[in-house]
Amino acid sequence: MNERLSLSELNGSVKKVLATNFTAPVWVVGEISEITIHSNGHCYLTLIEKGDSEDRIVAQARATIWSYTFRMLRPYFETTTGQQLTDGIKVLLQVSVEFHELYGFSLNVRNIDPTYTLGDQARKRREIIQQLTDEGVITMNKELELPQVPQRIAVISSPSAAGYEDFMQQLTANSRGFHFYTCLFPAVMQGHLAEQSIVNALDRIYPYEQFFDLVVIIRGGGSQVDLSCFDNYKVAYHITQFPLPVLTGIGHEKDDSIVDLVAHTRLKTPTAVAEFILEGVANFEDHIQQLEQETLALVETQMEEKRDYLEELARVLSSLVRNQLANKRSDLIQLTWKFQQEIKLSLYGKRHHLDRKLQRLEHLTGHFFFVRNQKVLYVAKALTDSIFRGMVVQRQRLGDYLEKYSRLSDKQLAVERHRLEMAGQKATMSDPENILKKGFSITTFQGRRIEDPGFLKRGDTIKTYMAQGSMLSEVVEINQKDKNDN
Amino acid sequence: MTIKKGLSYKEAIGEIEEILRQIENDEPDVDQLSEKVKRLSALVAWCRDKLHNTEEEIEKILKEIEKS
Repeated sequence: MNERLSLSELNGSVKKVLATNFTAPVWVVGEISEITIHSNGHCYLTLIEKGDSEDRIVAQARATIWSYTFRMLRPYFETTTGQQLTDGIKVLLQVSVEFHELYGFSLNVRNIDPTYTLGDQARKRREIIQQLTDEGVITMNKELELPQVPQRIAVISSPSAAGYEDFMQQLTANSRGFHFYTCLFPAVMQGHLAEQSIVNALDRIYPYEQFFDLVVIIRGGGSQVDLSCFDNYKVAYHITQFPLPVLTGIGHEKDDSIVDLVAHTRLKTPTAVAEFILEGVANFEDHIQQLEQETLALVETQMEEKRDYLEELARVLSSLVRNQLANKRSDLIQLTWKFQQEIKLSLYGKRHHLDRKLQRLEHLTGHFFFVRNQKVLYVAKALTDSIFRGMVVQRQRLGDYLEKYSRLSDKQLAVERHRLEMAGQKATMSDPENILKKGFSITTFQGRRIEDPGFLKRGDTIKTYMAQGSMLSEVVEINQKDKNDN
Repeated sequence: MTIKKGLSYKEAIGEIEEILRQIENDEPDVDQLSEKVKRLSALVAWCRDKLHNTEEEIEKILKEIEKS
């Protein structure tokens, strides 16, 4: 315990031991957990090794890539692997082990083997693909139906990316004049933040699933190399589970990333995505136009056929009608002729019959009138004869009277005048006036002379005429003379 | 000829194809034919209009989504 070393002596001896044991550079595998590129061009790394659980770090070391080396290693690595030398990736480095009394243990990076990283990435990719396959989700987004017209587009991109501008330019300035509705959901598209950022963007689109037709994930411009976030399980899984078709235009020349693999349609660049969408819409429009033309052509053909058919029908019909008319006319003429004959025959018969009747009638009436005539003439003659004979007798008798009377008249007149005077005296004597003057009266009822009171009844009014006037009296009592008293 | 609101392109082209099929197979009479052609033209015109012209309603929804 007498021998005491100073720290520098100790560090110097460690350095000696290390230098003795690590005479040549060694190849070491580690994961970059931190990387800093200094302004002077030197690159400082922290390398780690994780345990089986991935969370536990079991070894750690600092490493340096001097600017001279870094200037060569970096492009070599990035062009070979297609990704940046960045944190989170596993690398195989050729290092010399160094120990500095003041700065301690560090690794001086001499060379890098990008194939290891590639291999590691490929392994990781395989594992992710295997996992997605095992979960049965890997083709789920591909199974979605692309809409007939992808017109409403959700875009996941970095707003400042040249690729986004290319996409928008291509889409909006399309020559056919289609209108699109795009909505940008900004996301970080590279580095270790990209994973969560893309997932967040998808989550923000999700509520508008009904509104959008598809999702477009594009990047481009800027660094062409850091695409490790697109070989990410979480991002890939979200895409497979997304209810809208996802189109990618991530813009790299290498093998497809896992995101490309699970996307509905993978396109190389944002411009290609825009062209793809435009083509879909153009196809739709062409298709409906074609259908329309096809229909119109078909309709025209059908109309022509119908027209031809109608014309043919009209032709057939008119000839049919003409024939029918001719037939009917001839029938009619025949009928008319027949009818006329019938009528003539019938009329002839009737007339003949009538003639006979008429003849008989004439005959009968002629005889009748003849007989009557004879009778009338006979009677008339007899009548005139008798009248004439009567007139001769009467004239004879009148002449006799006239002669007789003219002889008698003078003698007769004297006698008759005397007889008349006598009769006048007698008539004056029996005049009722004279009777009344002698004191008799005459009683009347209803203008009639009353001799028998039996004709009257009590209450009757009777009128009595006397020589000097008349009076009215009412019958009070009737006393009839007994008929037997006569 | 009215196109119902909220018709999708898919429904529109489905109807267009159905009309074409009917004309091809059923040979409708002249009146039906004219009706069908009118309907088809209306559908095509509706699609064209939707493809080329901006629908304010949709723009409005887009702005709301962008704000959220």
